[in-house]
Amino acid sequence: MLKVIDSAVPIACWSCSVAHNDATLFCPHCSKIQPPTGGDYFSVFGIEPRLDLDLNALESEFHRLSRKLHPDRFARAGENEKQWSLADTALLNDAYRTLKDPITRTEYLLKLRGAEIAELHAGKDRKGQDDPSRVPADLLEEVFDLNMQLEEMRMARQAEETDVVLEASLTEAKKKFDGLLNAVNKDLRAQWKVWDEGDATARQAAQSTMVKLLDRRRYLSNLVRDVTETLGA
Amino acid sequence: MAYSDRVIDHYNNPRNVGTLDKASTEVGTGLVGAPECGDVMRLQIRVNPETQVIEEAKFKTFGCGSAIASSSLATEWIKGRTVEDALGIKNTDIVKELSLPPVKIHCSVLAEDAIRAAIGDWKKKNSVAETAPAAVHTAQ
Repeated sequence: MLKVIDSAVPIACWSCSVAHNDATLFCPHCSKIQPPTGGDYFSVFGIEPRLDLDLNALESEFHRLSRKLHPDRFARAGENEKQWSLADTALLNDAYRTLKDPITRTEYLLKLRGAEIAELHAGKDRKGQDDPSRVPADLLEEVFDLNMQLEEMRMARQAEETDVVLEASLTEAKKKFDGLLNAVNKDLRAQWKVWDEGDATARQAAQSTMVKLLDRRRYLSNLVRDVTETLGA
Repeated sequence: MAYSDRVIDHYNNPRNVGTLDKASTEVGTGLVGAPECGDVMRLQIRVNPETQVIEEAKFKTFGCGSAIASSSLATEWIKGRTVEDALGIKNTDIVKELSLPPVKIHCSVLAEDAIRAAIGDWKKKNSVAETAPAAVHTAQ
C-alpha cells in the first residue's frame, strides 16, 4: 500500500468523466464513489503527509467518510459501486488505524519516504556499514542485564520464592526505562515539528534521526512490557 | 508463519547456553542487538592460546525462536574451529540450515555479527592483528 500515485496525472471519473487529480474516494465534481486510490493514507483524508496531526479532526473525518462509504448506502447501486464501497471502507480503516497512532504514523511516513526502518533493512547485508547495530553499546548492555534480572525473577517466581531485592531493583529499572521511553517520545515529537515545517534537507535529517529514535524505542518498549509483565505476574 | 523443525529443535533444546568468564584473556565476548525486533544476543568463546581453536562457546539470547536457534547453531558450528575458520561462517549458511523465512533473516545476521564481535573482542584482548572490519567492535 505504499505506492504513491503521481498526482500530476489526472484520473477521469468513471461516472461524469471529469478529470480529478486528487487521490479521492469521491469525485469532487459529481460526488460519485471512486475505486480505491493508489494514493497514500494521508490522501484518503485529503491531507498532505505530516506528522503532527489534529487527531480530533482525523477522527471526525473518519466517521464522516465511514458513513458516506457504508455499504448499506450502496444497496441499490451498481455492482462496481458496491465493490468499491467495501474496498474503500477497508482502505479507510487501514488508513485511520495507521495514522491515529503516533508511532505507526511515524513509521508509515518514513516508509513512504523510503527511509530504512524495521523490516525494510532486515536481512540486508549490513557488513561494510559504519555501525551494524546502530544501537549504543551501553543501551545494549543495559537491555541485556535487565533481561537477565527478569529471567532470574521469573525463575524465583516459579520456585515460589519472592526475592525482595530483585523486585526492588526491577521496580527501579522500570521507572528508569519508563523515563527513557518518555524521553524518546519527546524527541520524536520534536522531530515531527522539524519534518512538518522543514525543507527537503531538514526533512532528510529529521528522517534519519527518527529512524534511530524508533530503533531505540523498540528496545525500550519491549523492556518496559517485559518488566511490567514480570512485576505484575 | 510456522517455524521449521530445525528451529524448534534448537529452541526446545538450545545448545551451549551459558556464560564464560568475561575477564579471562582466553575469552571473547560479543554482545549484539537487532533494532528491528529488539532482540539481544551475547555470544562468548574460549580460545586455546596455543592452537587458536575455539574450545568452548556459550550464548544467551533474549529474542524470538529464530534468534535463539541461530545463536544456538552458531555456537555448535564454531566449537572446534580455529578463529580464522569461524570467521568464514556466513549468515546465509545459518539461513539454509534452519530454513529461515525472509522476515527472520536478520536473526541469522545477528548471529554472524555476534561471532565476529566475540572474535573481535578476543583479538583485541590478545593484540592479534585485526582482519575483521573495525565496525564490529561497536556492537560490543
